[in-house]
Amino acid sequence: MNAFWDTLKVVAQIALRNLFASRIKTFIVGGIITFGAWIIVVGTSLLDSVDQSMSRSITGSIAGDIQVYSAESKETLDVFGGFGPSGNDIAPLADFAQVRRTLSTVPNVAAVVPMGIDTATVTAGNSVDQVLARLREAASNIQNGDKSAATAADYTSQKDHVRQIVRVLHGDFENIKKVRTDASDVAEDLAFVQKANSEEFWRDFDRDPYANLEFLENRIASLASDADMLFLRYIGTDPGEFRRTFDRMTIVEGQPIPEGKRGFLFSKYVYEEQVKLRTARTLDKVKVRRDDRKEKIADEPELQRMIKENANNGQEILLQLDGNKTSVFRSKLGTFLHSQTTDVGQLLTQFLSMNDDNFDERYQFYYKELAPSLQLYKVRVGDTLTIKAYTRSGYVQSANLHVFGIFAFKGLEKSPQAGAMNMMDLVSFRELYGYLTADREKEIRDLRAKSGAKEIARENADAQLFGSASKDDSTATDTPSPSNIPSLTEELSQIAGSRQRSQEKDAPYDPGQLEQGVVLNAAVFLKDAHKVGTTITAIESAAGRDKIPLKALSWQNAVGITGQFTVLMRAVLYTAVIIIFLVALIIINNALVMATLERVREFGTLRAIGAQRRFIWSMLVLESIVTGILFGALGILLGSLFVSWLGQRGIPAWNDIVTFFFSGPRLYPALASKNLVLALVIVIVVSVVSSTYPAWLAMRVSPRQAMQSEE
Amino acid sequence: MAIIVSIRNATKDYRLGKVLVPALRGVSLEVNSGEFLSIAGPSGSGKTTLLNLIGCVDTPTSGTVEVAGRNTAELGERALTRLRLYTIGFIFQSFNLVGVLDVFRNVELPLLLQRTLSSKERAERVHSLLDRVGLKEYSDHRPSELSGGQRQRVAIARALVTRPQLVLADEPTANLDSVTGQNILDLMRELNHADGTTFIFSTHDARVMSYANAVIRLADGKLSDTSDGGRATDAEVAELGHVSAGASQP
Ligand SMILES: Nc1ncnc2c1ncn2[C@@H]1O[C@H](COP(=O)(O)OP(=O)(O)O)[C@@H](O)[C@H]1O
Ligand SMILES: [Mg+2]
Repeated sequence: MNAFWDTLKVVAQIALRNLFASRIKTFIVGGIITFGAWIIVVGTSLLDSVDQSMSRSITGSIAGDIQVYSAESKETLDVFGGFGPSGNDIAPLADFAQVRRTLSTVPNVAAVVPMGIDTATVTAGNSVDQVLARLREAASNIQNGDKSAATAADYTSQKDHVRQIVRVLHGDFENIKKVRTDASDVAEDLAFVQKANSEEFWRDFDRDPYANLEFLENRIASLASDADMLFLRYIGTDPGEFRRTFDRMTIVEGQPIPEGKRGFLFSKYVYEEQVKLRTARTLDKVKVRRDDRKEKIADEPELQRMIKENANNGQEILLQLDGNKTSVFRSKLGTFLHSQTTDVGQLLTQFLSMNDDNFDERYQFYYKELAPSLQLYKVRVGDTLTIKAYTRSGYVQSANLHVFGIFAFKGLEKSPQAGAMNMMDLVSFRELYGYLTADREKEIRDLRAKSGAKEIARENADAQLFGSASKDDSTATDTPSPSNIPSLTEELSQIAGSRQRSQEKDAPYDPGQLEQGVVLNAAVFLKDAHKVGTTITAIESAAGRDKIPLKALSWQNAVGITGQFTVLMRAVLYTAVIIIFLVALIIINNALVMATLERVREFGTLRAIGAQRRFIWSMLVLESIVTGILFGALGILLGSLFVSWLGQRGIPAWNDIVTFFFSGPRLYPALASKNLVLALVIVIVVSVVSSTYPAWLAMRVSPRQAMQSEE
Repeated sequence: MAIIVSIRNATKDYRLGKVLVPALRGVSLEVNSGEFLSIAGPSGSGKTTLLNLIGCVDTPTSGTVEVAGRNTAELGERALTRLRLYTIGFIFQSFNLVGVLDVFRNVELPLLLQRTLSSKERAERVHSLLDRVGLKEYSDHRPSELSGGQRQRVAIARALVTRPQLVLADEPTANLDSVTGQNILDLMRELNHADGTTFIFSTHDARVMSYANAVIRLADGKLSDTSDGGRATDAEVAELGHVSAGASQP
């Protein structure tokens, strides 16, 4: 046995010495192996880190360890997906209390949070409506004999504001006419706008202010309200339990939805992206990229595009300006820009056309001088939101909800997927969702047939109810104000015996109500999060036993493609590693074959003096393994150093999607010893495989080759 | 005296494409243990082929070759290798040392292949042999740091380190100048005398074969028609050149 080790030592010595003897071969083979080992260590470490941080963020923000939903659903649950108007087609679970009872029989289940995810449109403080309402108030004050100068000034200022809005609208329509060859579908609207923008209209306005106001409310307001529409995605849940269970949730502004109260929380992401004034939002984004990423507007086409678009967004500011503010803006901007122009629209466009030299100064000016006169967010904490959703039965249901605050998920602040999720109480959710039992649904159908109301299909309900989508439907344009849209809806819900939600915004409910009733899905937290697979089986068999159609998904499978991201990336990495090592295999093989041919005399001599074939074979494979281990170790060392360096420094996320995968602005990758072992194993396997054929060739060298005289 | 090599009517044909090249055309030969035998003949006469058969690196096309009492035709690849390892030492025309190993490791190599001696025993064996070939001081030199003659001495030490019954040397001096060559032959003969190890070496140089105490002559794959089993008489050897002193006929 000693002799065996001595032999091994000599063979290892031969191997080592040969490394130095044939430098080019060593350089090629060593380089490839070092690189391959480096890739494995760095790649797997990065992926593991992304995997871990993602799973922490996702399980701790929305998904839990396991999601359950109805097995009768047409689609697979995707808590981040279903962005389309139809959402994620999930069948309801009629009784959450029963779901909880069943889940609580599974020993590994620690907590269950009821949920429902849906989308709805929200009209956020229609500025035109508000302005018109103020104008109507001023007009009626004057009609009622108020002769004060303040009232007269207010009246004029409001009129100016409306004129401002009409001017902006007119400009928009002129643009539509310019870019479109066939603008016949907007011809009627254009005629209204032209009338409202004409000198005569305003000259004669005071003769019959109510009639003219009616014209503005009916024909003009709806045209200007598009900008105020928000398309929101929300999760309905038990707000208290959600906050207690999901540790990633934080309130950034305001307060959580109090127990037993109806209410709404904006996601910080949505609040910034959709609710904030677009000009302000764009300036914020450009500033971040200039300051944090040191990008220059002059160098970045993306920034140039943002600035250019922003210059055209001045109208959202114009719409907010009444007569007084208009003159304030005119003088402030005129002084700042040293311009004689009196057109505030032009001044704003000029102001917003920024470049690297004036950006910082103008950014400051925007927030210090302009923003205080503006409503920076269309909705504020404390406001009431009117949410309109299409129920499953196909009609519109609305709810007025108090906005209690703004929340974010730690680590997912910049994630468009997780950030798209707003929150409301489950009781309001159920009403908007409009779940009806089969009996109740039949009842409504019968009543509807009796009352002669025609069925409104989901697809064209929008057109029929909102009108804005199809302008040639004159009946639709007759219902411009959101307050009288759902007359049909309300009629139907009254028929069906439902309550009038829109009038009961802050109505409290009995917290027990949260438990009873419909949910779409539920997040399940486990005592031992490593046993997801077996718990899923246990949940589904418990559901089978209790005869409820439950399907359980691991969080990875419940967040759509997002959860598969690391699986996908891993597949990409492994494919890359396989390709690298296949190429390595071929190159190493060739290098070794060449080296073998050069060493024919050596092998012949060894064979002649009594070395068996298998000795030669083992010697060459061992040589290759020694090379592999040496350079593999080098690669692993370099990879480890690189990962540790990254771990200290952190990898900055370069965009929002990456931020999501990093679960924060920076990823701090950590080394795992299993990855080092993996790299070493792969390197050794590749070494053995790549040397097999050359070793076989060497083994078959005849000892007679040793006798051949040197030519 | 024991017969260590016994060849009966051996032929060896090589195939070169479609042509059969007869390298040996029926050679019969007996070698006694302790002999210092030279195989002489011009280039291409079949000397290497014959040594290959004796050295068990090749087997005859027909006829039999017995080495240390074993018929090589009946042995497989592994058994032949073992036979070489334990009974035969090789000295090559081009020395054939392992370039990446030092002198000590080169000489030790066959012992490592044998795996019978402890490292201490091996070291003793190697050092005493290096002493005998006059390379005591060179054990940690690389072959590339040695002269041709020194390298061939290392090769001789390597051939003898296993204490083989038979040492084969194919034109051991062909790559050396004549003085160095003579020194190498002197060394080989000395070792032959001292240990009684059988030496068979080939040469096409008349002066070299004169060192042998017996010479067989090959021409066109056949032994010359001489009286004693293919061996030249003293007189014939004398004709070939200088007769070495002390070479005795069995
Ligand atoms: N591997 C071989 N293939 C074909 N012919 C060979 C081979 N080895 C030797 N020969 C031929 O056999 C003959 C004898 O060769 P060899 O034994 O090497 O002679 P020597 O060693 O006396 O110069 C020569 O004609 C040579 O060309
Ligand atoms: Mg020859």
